[in-house]
Amino acid sequence: MRTSRTTLARRAIGAAAGAILSFGLLTACGSDGGSDEDAESAEDFDFTCPEREDAERAPDEEANENTPFVFGTPGDPSSLDPVFASDGETFRITRQVYDTLLDHDCTEMVPGLAESWEQNDEGTEWTFHLREGVTFHDGTPLDGAAVCANFDRWNNFTGGYQSPNYTYYYSKFFDGYAENDPEMGIEAETNYAGCEADGLTATIRIHEYTANFPGAFSMATTAIVSPGSLEQITDDEVETADDPLPEYTQTADVLAGTGPYQLAEWDHSGQAVTLERFDDYWGETAEVKTLIFRTISDENARRQALEAGDIHGYDLVAPADVQPLAEGGFQVPTRGVFNILYMTYTQGHAPLDDHTVREALSHAVDRQRIVDSVLPPGGTVATQFMPPSLEGWSEDVVTYEHDPDLAQEMLADAGHEDLTLEFCYPTDVTRPYMPAPKDIFDIIASDLEAVGVTVEATPITWVEYIPTTRSGDCPLYLLGWTGDFNEAYNFLGTWFATETTEWGFDNQAIFDGLAEAAAEPDPSVRAEHWAGLNELIMEELPGLPISHSPPSIAFAPDVYPMDVSPLTQEDFSQMYFAAE
Amino acid sequence: MTPAKIEKLERLVEAGAQARTAESGSLWRQSFRRLRRSPMAIAGGAIVGVFVLVAVLGPWIAPYDPTAQRWGDEVFLNRNVFPGPRAENWFGLDHLGRDMFSRMIVGARQTLLVGVVATLIGFAAGAAVGGTAAAAGTFGGRWGQRIEAVIMRAVDVALSIPMLLLALSVAALLGPSLTTVMIAVGVAQIPIFARLLRGSMLAQAHSDYVLAAISLGVPKGRIVISHIFPNSLGPVIVQATLVLATAIIEAAALSYLGLGNPDPGNPEWGTMLADAQRFLSGAPQLAIYPAVGIIVTALGFTLLGEAMRESLDPRLRRQG
Repeated sequence: MRTSRTTLARRAIGAAAGAILSFGLLTACGSDGGSDEDAESAEDFDFTCPEREDAERAPDEEANENTPFVFGTPGDPSSLDPVFASDGETFRITRQVYDTLLDHDCTEMVPGLAESWEQNDEGTEWTFHLREGVTFHDGTPLDGAAVCANFDRWNNFTGGYQSPNYTYYYSKFFDGYAENDPEMGIEAETNYAGCEADGLTATIRIHEYTANFPGAFSMATTAIVSPGSLEQITDDEVETADDPLPEYTQTADVLAGTGPYQLAEWDHSGQAVTLERFDDYWGETAEVKTLIFRTISDENARRQALEAGDIHGYDLVAPADVQPLAEGGFQVPTRGVFNILYMTYTQGHAPLDDHTVREALSHAVDRQRIVDSVLPPGGTVATQFMPPSLEGWSEDVVTYEHDPDLAQEMLADAGHEDLTLEFCYPTDVTRPYMPAPKDIFDIIASDLEAVGVTVEATPITWVEYIPTTRSGDCPLYLLGWTGDFNEAYNFLGTWFATETTEWGFDNQAIFDGLAEAAAEPDPSVRAEHWAGLNELIMEELPGLPISHSPPSIAFAPDVYPMDVSPLTQEDFSQMYFAAE
Repeated sequence: MTPAKIEKLERLVEAGAQARTAESGSLWRQSFRRLRRSPMAIAGGAIVGVFVLVAVLGPWIAPYDPTAQRWGDEVFLNRNVFPGPRAENWFGLDHLGRDMFSRMIVGARQTLLVGVVATLIGFAAGAAVGGTAAAAGTFGGRWGQRIEAVIMRAVDVALSIPMLLLALSVAALLGPSLTTVMIAVGVAQIPIFARLLRGSMLAQAHSDYVLAAISLGVPKGRIVISHIFPNSLGPVIVQATLVLATAIIEAAALSYLGLGNPDPGNPEWGTMLADAQRFLSGAPQLAIYPAVGIIVTALGFTLLGEAMRESLDPRLRRQG
């Protein structure tokens, strides 16, 4: 819809557009040898959505019918009901099974289940005209009532379901619930004002416009599930925020969507989810009949499995594997750049609340070296907390060049020559924005030691990492984000909308500015707000933006891969075994 | 595997006991004479000597600071570019642009430290367990024999658990650190030392000098501590040399599995090996240096230990 593609991504150096969620769980990395590098200087190279160079290939009918396509994933999904997930591992699977009202082509918003849509001037009323002839996997047709049933169901969540542990994205988009449970710590009134269905039309109303719309309607969490299949379950089973997810989210035989594939089996002990082609799919029917997502958490093991022919593709390719794989005849398409890696200065820990200290540390770190030697080629040093392809990226932010001498001087001026800082990094994962956490940590730690800071290494496993960093226990830590949709608020709003323990700073100008910008329905006016806010944020310096980098995905030689997405929202129905 | 292990220990005990009663000259002098002529001992001794020297002098002979990422801008791990051996860096650079040669040298110290401390832990605790069992079995009467039986069955059970598995469990309990590795590897060695010392002490208990001491009215406790125990140490010391080799390999294995020292400031061969694994296809040399270091060192201690064991064994004596 209103996404202005023209300016999008043409912005030059380096980076660009985005991928699904974030902190979470998609791990990945990768990129492609030299081509991006050559293009780095070309001002108009589209880093978000590079043109595909390979020609379409004829499908191998027999293989597609008889051979299951096995895709290696870095982790298990968390829930087959996407509203309870916030991680890329889950969404990779649920995106094939459920459709959203709106979808993305590259980073551009395009029709999904809704053929067209419109909104009122205030951005508070969103009317979706649904496609005709869409059926759920359970045989019931899609209509406006089905859409409203889903939105109403989410708004009526109670108890533990209201906890961000379950519904992180929903509560982010709609603030609250019909009746907020005081124990879940949600104070904001729900922003959801209701949904009216009329045949194939659904009108969703919200109380106040925020920049999360219409992006929220394209999120895998707001995918439309068959109301019939929802009737088989009750939503009041979860009492507290720490209860495990209900049983039905862990088995493949309950929920039905409208996507090109339907759930067939989730083998928990074998760590594999099997999908079967849905022949009555409203779009182009998939070529491959059976699709299996198998978890192989070690990146070397994934590569070896692909090389051995055990799997036909995998995600989160290590940057160093890209070239050897390509030379071995494998296909390694690189996604566009739409993420950020940063190091936080948690201001709850003195003396990180001292601006001079934060500035000094920022000058100490050689970010260019991280980009050049660890991240996949095509990455770039970040100057602010969002990639340059987004509207609102500012050229006028304060930048902090690598200057160890200056850093040392500033630390001395601030009276912190012998500073000791604890520095956390995750041990057992790679992320799309962070291919080798320990190497990045080692490089930064050595830069900090070089200016006289004593670094206490604190390795933490990924499961504990997010809670630990969110609670503000780590003075310094590495984290990042891949964009969910093409909107600066999806980056800035994620971190800086209010005071949090995770960042520990209290800068009312930033909080107010974000609230004001998010409520502005005109994208071009909003972009100006974002630019000003980026400048303000980089003056405050809550953390050091490190890089934007392009993650890769790998496929066997006999596969015709789908278009890769900077948002990591790949459509597996586009991919098939190709005849030689 | 376990019966073989036990049998080997029994033979060592036997050798230690018999050596004392046979022929002329003291056990140690004879053994040493034989050792000097054994090429195995010389090779092992040379390797161990060099290793210990390097480990002790490490920080002074390393050409560069092993933790400084001095050539960081020459390494591109995203493209498998790792400068190999050259004039200033004899072994090339590691994945963060640090001098591999310096890291190997300084890493030797950690490796030796872990090996020695772990073996000492195993030796001390094993000696306590084995010594108690033997003393109880010899002089404790019927109850003592029961205690001995219980202790030794427990030791046999521990001995039948693969050592690495035992060490892993201990390390997992204690969390990753260098101390953990030392304790874990040490604990895994306890049953070996316990069994060996107990066997050795039982053999000594039937010697004439012990009979003499008993008839002279020397208190039993003193007989055990002042006579039997010191005279039983020979085979245990030999075993300690062999165990040191195993300890080094196991310590490296634990570090490799991520249970070692998380501080990147301290190079350690096992950790280096683990780091290098990710770049195995692009830069195998990063793994080869620490791997060869571990193998050669373990080989050195094994050769020396085996040579000592053989020189103690009267069945091999005539050949010497």
